[in-house]
Amino acid sequence: MSKRQFLIIGLGTFGINLARYLSEKNAEVTAIDRDEQRTQEASSFLQNVITGDATDEKMLRSIGLSDIDVAVVSLSKNLESSILITLLLRELGAKKIIVKSINQMHARIATRVGADRVIYPEVEMAKKLAESLVSPNILEEIELSPDYNLVEIVVPKKFWNKTLRQANIRGVYNLNVIAIKRKVPILNDAGESDIKEEINIAPLAEDEFAEGDIIVVIGKEPDIEKLNTD
Amino acid sequence: MKKENRSQEVTEDQELVEMGKFYFVNGKYDEAVEEFKKALKVNPGSPEIFYNLGLVYESRNKPEEAIKMYKKALAIDPKYKLAKQHYEKLIGL
Repeated sequence: MSKRQFLIIGLGTFGINLARYLSEKNAEVTAIDRDEQRTQEASSFLQNVITGDATDEKMLRSIGLSDIDVAVVSLSKNLESSILITLLLRELGAKKIIVKSINQMHARIATRVGADRVIYPEVEMAKKLAESLVSPNILEEIELSPDYNLVEIVVPKKFWNKTLRQANIRGVYNLNVIAIKRKVPILNDAGESDIKEEINIAPLAEDEFAEGDIIVVIGKEPDIEKLNTD
Repeated sequence: MKKENRSQEVTEDQELVEMGKFYFVNGKYDEAVEEFKKALKVNPGSPEIFYNLGLVYESRNKPEEAIKMYKKALAIDPKYKLAKQHYEKLIGL
């Protein structure tokens, strides 16, 4: 299977970190920025780095967008350039365009001119942080649909040393436990203590919860909230 | 005479740490914490004891307490690899 190819336009903090993580995952990444200092930094871990203006149509054409699977526009300040680049990418046949939004107006315009997905990392992170501050037991939350969420939650004290059957989470809360994550104490070869994380996928009715377990549940938000606050 | 006392203290704190580790790997977290705290009274400057306390708190999903312990371990020994790994993971680095 050939490597997936990504184009990242804008090497600010977000863009350069995205490029780094993608390359660590063996993806093929091309990056563009006007700032030579940034492109030099990216050259330390990327092969294809271009110093130039991505609003220049000729330059974008020269990249060969038909080979790119996903183009990410991650300009942090210049709204006009971001919109223009999004439009050009769409016209030049980019398969999928993701735009890092600068503000809500930008998000709306980017969608109109061809972005397949608009992300707003600061708002998304703020929302996650707010949720984790209000409900510290909820470690991760993924919205599966407007009604259903998948949530990682610290197992409530009342379920410690109880089996799934005894806890009856499905019957009482209408939630499905799909996994139990546990940090298991170990001694390494040097005799030092450490922790190994184990995951029990699709736990059985007789499996027992322990203090410190994290359960992964699927269900409706009010039911999850009830489990968390009961 | 003084030297002899000191060597006895070192042995005692090591014994307490080993006892704490034994409880920890057997899932007896309260007992483990008790032993590590006793060990700290004998040797308050041991990064290993703070690291082990951090592990117990981390296992029980008490990340804030764990972070405090790892920070103390690293303040004493900034090159403590395991403490650094756990600390960085918990603070999201």
